[in-house]
Amino acid sequence: MLIFSERFGDIDCDESAALRFPHGLLGFEDETSFVVVPVGDDGIYNWLQSVKNPGLAFLTTTPHFFFSDYAPEVDDADLVELELLNENETHVLCLVTIGEDSISANLLGPIVVNTRTRIARQVVLSERRWTTREPLSVN
Amino acid sequence: MLVLSRRANESIIINGNITVTILEIRGDHIRIGIDAPRDITIHREEIHAELAAANAKAASTTTTDLSKLPRPK
Repeated sequence: MLIFSERFGDIDCDESAALRFPHGLLGFEDETSFVVVPVGDDGIYNWLQSVKNPGLAFLTTTPHFFFSDYAPEVDDADLVELELLNENETHVLCLVTIGEDSISANLLGPIVVNTRTRIARQVVLSERRWTTREPLSVN
Repeated sequence: MLVLSRRANESIIINGNITVTILEIRGDHIRIGIDAPRDITIHREEIHAELAAANAKAASTTTTDLSKLPRPK
């Protein structure tokens, strides 16, 4: 599968490597397929490049690297959608926004990935402990 | 938009399997109970809007110098 992207040029990847978002992301409901493009080789940041929109890519990180007490609770509807059988096949990502004066992570609406099926979903936490703009501090 | 009038403790049924019940009315504050199958997602509208706005902002992140991204300790 050849994917066109504005940031990374043409990406040749296996179709099974794409993450499938059956419902897209909030506000981007038509974007149902993304490929993962690593930033560097330490695995901290990855881009999610839209398969069908060359100009659309989201920078993501694994929140656990920065927020050790972050343990999002996923509700039943999300578990059903993700076909999750157990926690071991779960990977959590969050979107990173580079603003003019800050770099922040959206921890209120994390992305949960079923690593077995590659189905992903942006979930909305019912607990309002975290916001959409948590600074990525280095402590 | 379909508009229905309901009193406290009255319900509407959507699609045969979602029941929305007006539990309590107190001034401009209304408590609503929703019985729905577990695969139905329900959000407060303002949270949905907040997430959509946050996603739009994240999508507008232009490629900057990614070598300066924060690193975990």
